[in-house]
Amino acid sequence: MDDDMQDFTADVRRFLDAHAAKAPDRTAFTWGEGDDSMAYFSSLPPEEDREHVRRARDWQRVRYENGFGWITGPEEYGGRGLTPIHDVVYDAIEAEYDVPDTGTISVVGLGMIGPTILAHAQPHLKDRWLPAMYRGDAIACQLFSEPGAGSDLASVTTRAVRDGDDWVLDGQKVWTSVAQHSQIGLALTRTNPEAPKHRGITAFLVPMDAPGVEVRPLRQMTGGADFNEVFLTGVRIPDDHRLGEVDGGWTVALTTLMNERATVGSEGAGPVGAALSPDRLAALMRATWTGEDRALRARLAELLVDVMATGYLNARATRALRSGVTPGPERSVSKLMYGQNLTRAAHFASDVLGPRMIADTGEWGTYAWSELLLATPALRILGGTEEIMKNILAERVLGLPKEARS
Amino acid sequence: MTVDDSGLHELRSAVREFLEAKSPEDVVRKLMESEPRFDPAVWAQASDQLRLPALTVPEEYGGDGFGMVELGVVLEEMGRALLCAPFFSTVVLAVPALLASGDAEACARHLPGIADGRTTATLAVAEDAGSWDTALVSARAVGDGRWRLTGGKSFVIDGTTADLILVVARTVAGPSLFAVDRTAAGLTAEPMETLDATRAMARLTLDAVPATLVGAEGAAERIVSRVLDLASVGLAAEQAGGARRCLEESAAYARTRHQFGRPIGSFQAVKHKCADMLVQVELAEAASREAARLAAEDSDEFPVAAAVAHACCSRAYMVAAMENIQVHGGIGFTWEHSAHLYFRRAKSSQLLFGGPAVYHERLLDRLGV
Repeated sequence: MDDDMQDFTADVRRFLDAHAAKAPDRTAFTWGEGDDSMAYFSSLPPEEDREHVRRARDWQRVRYENGFGWITGPEEYGGRGLTPIHDVVYDAIEAEYDVPDTGTISVVGLGMIGPTILAHAQPHLKDRWLPAMYRGDAIACQLFSEPGAGSDLASVTTRAVRDGDDWVLDGQKVWTSVAQHSQIGLALTRTNPEAPKHRGITAFLVPMDAPGVEVRPLRQMTGGADFNEVFLTGVRIPDDHRLGEVDGGWTVALTTLMNERATVGSEGAGPVGAALSPDRLAALMRATWTGEDRALRARLAELLVDVMATGYLNARATRALRSGVTPGPERSVSKLMYGQNLTRAAHFASDVLGPRMIADTGEWGTYAWSELLLATPALRILGGTEEIMKNILAERVLGLPKEARS
Repeated sequence: MTVDDSGLHELRSAVREFLEAKSPEDVVRKLMESEPRFDPAVWAQASDQLRLPALTVPEEYGGDGFGMVELGVVLEEMGRALLCAPFFSTVVLAVPALLASGDAEACARHLPGIADGRTTATLAVAEDAGSWDTALVSARAVGDGRWRLTGGKSFVIDGTTADLILVVARTVAGPSLFAVDRTAAGLTAEPMETLDATRAMARLTLDAVPATLVGAEGAAERIVSRVLDLASVGLAAEQAGGARRCLEESAAYARTRHQFGRPIGSFQAVKHKCADMLVQVELAEAASREAARLAAEDSDEFPVAAAVAHACCSRAYMVAAMENIQVHGGIGFTWEHSAHLYFRRAKSSQLLFGGPAVYHERLLDRLGV
């Protein structure tokens, strides 16, 4: 490691030592004691959810005020002007500390929308929103998906019609994470229905308190409501809230999607981390007297091979990045594996538990697995379906020809 | 000694260039049907020009003193090229067995000859059941300082050609390791018909064969356990290299082969098959390289990583070799196409040290499950 990175590392440790405690060992546990939650989606009651968001904002402000709120951002907008490698180093060190989960703010807003605003917005929008976002004051969401446009985002039909210096937006967005907490949303709209579909899209920054914006929670199969539908009805947006050229919104969307792939799939800690812990899975087998079952043992071994190999893949990608090597397809592979590993862990647990997975006996660490099981179908869809991810790997890494698309 | 990334890159290029020249497919096919199943002239060149047998032999015994990371790079390339040579038996099995024995005299006697390519060697543990569990060894050693071995060994890699055969046999103290000279009286070696013709195997019959004890009497369980960790990581590197080659062949074919008026790689079903292969290959490389790195650092995490690498790469290679034939369609099923050579190597490697049922338990054992 060079001197600069050593200084930075020391800086990070000084900051975290002053503001946070060391994290407890998340893999250590005693069967029957402590939290047995296996939830992937938080699904908190509204009051707790608001408290969760407040803690996230507070921690983001502390980071920002100490120079770690936007490590890669330009200094004129409150960033630190450092490299993505510094960012990775910071994250790795912060993971050793017990700090509030800032996912609500960071995954979509800071990870995807921030870089898009920086690349494509007019200066007054950057001044207005970038420091506010990275200070934790403003939360941003992505108004991309629609009922008729999931993975095929270029099919959006939400209309934006020019009216003097304004645009008028009408349509419906869906699967919008954190919209209920957001101050701004980045919307893709159809501005030219005559043009080929990738060429008739325009991107706007929508203040979420503008008249005509309505956020409705969308209840999901886990029972919680972690994302929303957003209805846009006659929403007036000034032309200076446009990102990029008129009908040039696809370029803007690609910036966001590129950053999405860098953001989603890097999870691993939190309650679901326990689901992939060999100790936890072994304890589950002991507690259910299935520890000698040869078929189950073989499946556990196969699952753990994938879990550990995925861990090695991540470790090597991080090490490569730190030594200045551009990562290859590791992130995409790791995202695919993360969803599959959790899915297989949940189904493995269900085979171990049998009927104890279908109704709650009150026994610790048994029915709790159903929370993870119900979340797993979503893991193969969110942030780009498995099928889309495989197309990307095949086309961009292996150079296979694209399928003819309309 | 460990070399940096650019050094590893140079090593890889040098080995790949050598193998492309000396071990193209037609040469592999010729050698796999001849006896011995390698070309002594090429082995001499690999020794003299690239010093490959010397790679992991410590400098005090005339070698170059590199570790698993460098060995992994060489084995990935050999796995790609399906090189027919006594490298795996000599360098991946016999060298670590001698080193793990802690027997300085045996090392001083055998390693310099191995390092300069004059001596080839192998390790004979399994008997007719194919197990590498030393508790199941029935070959016996009797004597008192002048040992004589009696029994049989099977699946002995390069067993008909190796100059030095390290044999596990039982004494009153338990399974022990012995050195047997190829020319020793009472030793017969018969070639076995093999699923993977590029890796020669033999059945040995030992009839009161004179032998020298290597390491302590009764130490073979510990020695073989250490060798299995290192050898399964070596095998994993070979498997990762073979799997990568299958993926590359499939992707290249899918880009150029046209059916229904378009390249087959533009069909999502084929695309996803190739993406699945890529996922397997990426995991395999990560697991084998990480295990090699942990071995070089002598990390406590190495035994678990070795078990993960063995299982992960065994599966990845098998998947890649099967799907390679599928992507190639009927042509991949023909004897003329190279796909079956990789399929045979993949299956043979997966089962070499016992197969999934054995390595799954080995992993769980190491994780304390």
